Amino acid sequence: MAATTMNSMPSTGQSHWDRLAARARMQRRFSDVALYAFLIVVSLPIIVTYFWLLTLSFSAGRGEINTDVLWPSLFILTPALVALWIWGAVAKDRRQAFIGWGLILAGTIILYFSLLGDQLHLEGYRFLVDPDFNRLNESVVAGDKLSYSATAFPSVWVAFRNSLFVAGAQTVIVCTVASLAGYYISRFQFPLRNSMLRAMLVLHAFPTYTLVVPLFIILWYVGLLDSLVGVMLVLVGIELPFAVFIMKGFYDAVPWEVEMSALADGATRMQTYVRVVLPQVTNGLIAVTVFSFIRGWEEYIFMVTFLIKNTNWTMSLYMFFVTEENSLGIDFALVSAVAVFYVIPSLIMYTVAQKYLMQMSVSGVKG
Amino acid sequence: MARIEFKNIEKRFDDVVVIPGMDLVINDGEFVALLGPSGCGKSTSLFMLAGIYLPSGGDLLFDEHRVNEVEARDRNVGIVFQSYALYPHMTVRDNIRFPLRFKKVPDAEAKRRVREAAELVQVAELMNRRPSQLSGGQQQRVALARALVKDPQLLLLDEPLSNLDATLRLTMRTEIKALQERLGVTTILVTHDQLEATTMADRIICMREGEIEQIGSPDDLYLRPETLFVAGFIGSPPINILHGQVDSEKLRVGEAVAPLVGVGNGPFSIGLRPEHLEFGDSGVPARVIQTEPMGREILYVAESPLGLIRVLESGSQVNHRIGEETRIAFDPSNTLLFEEATGRRLDGAHFHLNTTARAA
Ligand SMILES: Nc1ncnc2c1ncn2[C@@H]1O[C@H](COP(=O)(O)OP(=O)(O)OP(=O)(O)O)[C@@H](O)[C@H]1O
Ligand SMILES: [Mg+2]
Repeated sequence: MAATTMNSMPSTGQSHWDRLAARARMQRRFSDVALYAFLIVVSLPIIVTYFWLLTLSFSAGRGEINTDVLWPSLFILTPALVALWIWGAVAKDRRQAFIGWGLILAGTIILYFSLLGDQLHLEGYRFLVDPDFNRLNESVVAGDKLSYSATAFPSVWVAFRNSLFVAGAQTVIVCTVASLAGYYISRFQFPLRNSMLRAMLVLHAFPTYTLVVPLFIILWYVGLLDSLVGVMLVLVGIELPFAVFIMKGFYDAVPWEVEMSALADGATRMQTYVRVVLPQVTNGLIAVTVFSFIRGWEEYIFMVTFLIKNTNWTMSLYMFFVTEENSLGIDFALVSAVAVFYVIPSLIMYTVAQKYLMQMSVSGVKG
Repeated sequence: MARIEFKNIEKRFDDVVVIPGMDLVINDGEFVALLGPSGCGKSTSLFMLAGIYLPSGGDLLFDEHRVNEVEARDRNVGIVFQSYALYPHMTVRDNIRFPLRFKKVPDAEAKRRVREAAELVQVAELMNRRPSQLSGGQQQRVALARALVKDPQLLLLDEPLSNLDATLRLTMRTEIKALQERLGVTTILVTHDQLEATTMADRIICMREGEIEQIGSPDDLYLRPETLFVAGFIGSPPINILHGQVDSEKLRVGEAVAPLVGVGNGPFSIGLRPEHLEFGDSGVPARVIQTEPMGREILYVAESPLGLIRVLESGSQVNHRIGEETRIAFDPSNTLLFEEATGRRLDGAHFHLNTTARAA
């Protein structure tokens, strides 16, 4: 009986396996298509919106808004991008690739400017050099806004510097404290360790803006109201628990034998930490750096509540007041240009750190 | 090189006593193996030697000097961890050189020593790779080079071969042994593989639950185990332990009876190595239930009124089929007798089994 089943297997069996394989192939192909369709549908609105912002900042007029430049731009740039991509895949070596890319880029630029050149202008970006940029709009500004009237705008570079200070100092403190605290929590047992970890997670779950009023009072008491240091410290306090938590996860992934080995190899505790442990958690450190910097850069609610003087404005406040001031006859080019300027640092951070952030999602953050 | 001494060393983790009190001397240049089942405190002992754990009590001596509180970095101990613990962000070269960075070794000399250590374990052509780009065996060699590069006075190996495949394990075993002989460094090898211990070490320290059961040469442990535990732990296939009874100068094991003088009445455990048993016309009746050809020997498992008995017969021919009814005879001169209450072996000098007559 065994022999007969053995013999009959190959004929019916083989086609059976083929059918299964074909079905698996179909499913794989279908899920690939579905995945890409999903990614495109989800990301397209965001990409197009940002692209529109960019074109507006170079082309928009006052009081009116249109897609005159957006669609032609997309029609020229999308094929160009596809061409660059295809050429990158087709080119035989680096030299050929670079030559091809150069030609495509040059062609695109010439085409772009010959078709749309007369609609482009840099007027939106005048705020970069002229603090009194609103002069052009003065005719439509209502005079009843006291503290932030048109003339009360500081130079954008003051706001930029303030933002840089708040985000930067916040990041430095958060990274330093989180990398040390995370290490300690990961390596040492102490009373209430687990309750503390749980509390840190729970803290992160609360909407932090519920704290605006108490924080306002506290800052006022300690004399840090309307001070960049005050806001910076508030942000540190709010960012820290989660950063510590993330760093702890990264430290947990470093085997303790490696540390012991370094100690036995003659390193002191400090040398072990700096030379052996820290290099293994750089990805975590980069992730924490990027997230806390961007958090500080984008923060608005605490800024608008705790900062008053216009010399203390940060980029988020600057952005907001530019939009406000122009509310009657909106200077769309200006608003878009400020927005583009505001976005650039975040964009740079993400681009530079992208590789490491990806690794974080792959290697995972362990509790 | 150093002479190591444990004087009543104790180790507790909070309330858990892992090592209740250990006395041990390891001579200069000796290669000893620390053998015992998982969780018996082998790594803990090793980490105390390396200075990673602080002993909870007792004295740890290196060449007669008390080193309990000496920091790990000041002990000059080379250690290879079970997981190798290479520094993943450094190349092989930097890994091996790492211990020299804290010793103020001149650059040229450091380079030379790194190269020598690498050549010693044959990883010289892998110098620019990262640990993740190495096979398990190569990582193990790098870890060994890193431990050796600082000319340690003591080399500690924590189950260094457990992650390797069988063939590589065999080669590394001979390589490490040869290396140790050449360098003459005092070496402690932790393992729970008895074959590793018996083939590599001059002396074996057999541990159980934090206590030393027996210290001796591989032969001592195999032929003259002091306790039932050692007898059962050493030897593959494992020893047969049967229950017997002594009364009025006769040892009874089931139906088999052998004259025995010099021992009081009472229950005893009888240890019989599988290779000391043979099938025959006399002895304990048994039925073969399993045969395992092992290359040059064949292991039979037989069912008898005394329980399962393992018999090892040399030759590659299966002489006894499964289901065969036969008898198993044992040679009294190779019988190990253990007190049932304490598990300790009776010294052969104190009793006398009649060796002329086969037990029947
Ligand atoms: N840090 C610690 N805290 C509490 N108990 C510990 C600690 N380290 C080890 N132990 C306990 O001590 C005992 C011995 O551990 P050890 O690591 O020395 O075992 P081992 O003989 O090396 O075992 P293995 O062969 O599995 O490596 C174990 O029961 C273990 O649970
Ligand atoms: Mg261990």
